[in-house]
Amino acid sequence: MKHRVTLRIGPATFRIGSAWSGPIGELRRLYADYPAPSDGSADFTVRLEPAGLLRRWLRPSIFITGDHGLADAAPMSLAHSLLAAEMGMNLQMALGWRRHLLLHASSVEKDGRVLLMSGESGSGKSTLAAQLGERGWRLMGDEFALIDLAAGAVLPFPRLVSLKNRAIDVIAADVPAARMGPLLEGTAKGDIRHMRPRADAVARMDEGAPPALLLFPRFGHASAIRPMGQGETFMRLTQASTNYVALGEAAFAALGRFVDEVPAMAMDFPSGDEAIAMVERLWEERA
Amino acid sequence: MRYGGAAIIGGRAVTVDQRYCREREGNILFRTLGDIGLLYHRPSGQTHIVISPVPEILEAMEDDSPVSVGDLLQRLSRRFDLGPQETALPKIAAHLADMAALGLIRAVA
Repeated sequence: MKHRVTLRIGPATFRIGSAWSGPIGELRRLYADYPAPSDGSADFTVRLEPAGLLRRWLRPSIFITGDHGLADAAPMSLAHSLLAAEMGMNLQMALGWRRHLLLHASSVEKDGRVLLMSGESGSGKSTLAAQLGERGWRLMGDEFALIDLAAGAVLPFPRLVSLKNRAIDVIAADVPAARMGPLLEGTAKGDIRHMRPRADAVARMDEGAPPALLLFPRFGHASAIRPMGQGETFMRLTQASTNYVALGEAAFAALGRFVDEVPAMAMDFPSGDEAIAMVERLWEERA
Repeated sequence: MRYGGAAIIGGRAVTVDQRYCREREGNILFRTLGDIGLLYHRPSGQTHIVISPVPEILEAMEDDSPVSVGDLLQRLSRRFDLGPQETALPKIAAHLADMAALGLIRAVA
């Protein structure tokens, strides 16, 4: 590939290659503060290639490939190249990571303990984590939480936060422009804008902490909190993990321990401000 | 409905004379979480989430020697009120057949 950059996010290193300079330049800018990889090796390769012979110049379209790929992935517009790079990195983690139990959850840390939030796309877990990250919590990740298989600690994976549609203006009001990526309009997921986590969250990206509380947030409903039984929590987390089956017995032990030790609740909320207040109350009660 | 050593439950035949024993020692990891049981089946790598009476049946088979459905009913009846034998027996037989299909116990000749 003509243009390349190597990025380290938490324990994972990605080599990203592109036929175009634009996406690599944007990645270099947004990941400028991230610690450099310790050597030249990378866990995963992501390639952004022209979708067809002439597609590098003519209505350029990107096709994402790498160590792990999806056969039916649709080509994307070059204007959405940053999203393509982020999706490529997510895909490699989701399909290939084996060193930790990977949960589809956001995570934030306070007082040396971690709050995890799991849910489908649109549940509000990513926006809520981003908001808490600007209000005294350390943002550990908006998409994947990595659970140490032996010790049970949560490890950070503080990639760029992917903000969608209404969440963009909410977060942009709190965050300096230098930490925001370009507005990507009309993607398959609507409008998307990326945000770089605060410098302290990036600097501490090798620092894990034990989990203390698990929430299943749901945006757009009247405020309600419901304690969740361990059976339901276990089932939901096996569905939220992309590598539970691949890790076998180690994942069974790690997830069983997690569910046994960490209280879980379903949290419905009507607005971001209300959600933040609910989280802070729950955190104080837990303490 | 019963025919000699067999019964029809949910539209299928289950054999009440069949004997079963537990999977080999170490093949299954068991963990209790609240009111559910988690079984990790090492040979297949599958996780099974089970509720009563599966954990109780496995516990009653703990001595590893093959047991018939009748033996098991006797053992379970010492601890639980299972109701009339003619309704309890085919239900236990059906549970055992399901557990064997999942690889949690083995049918023996």
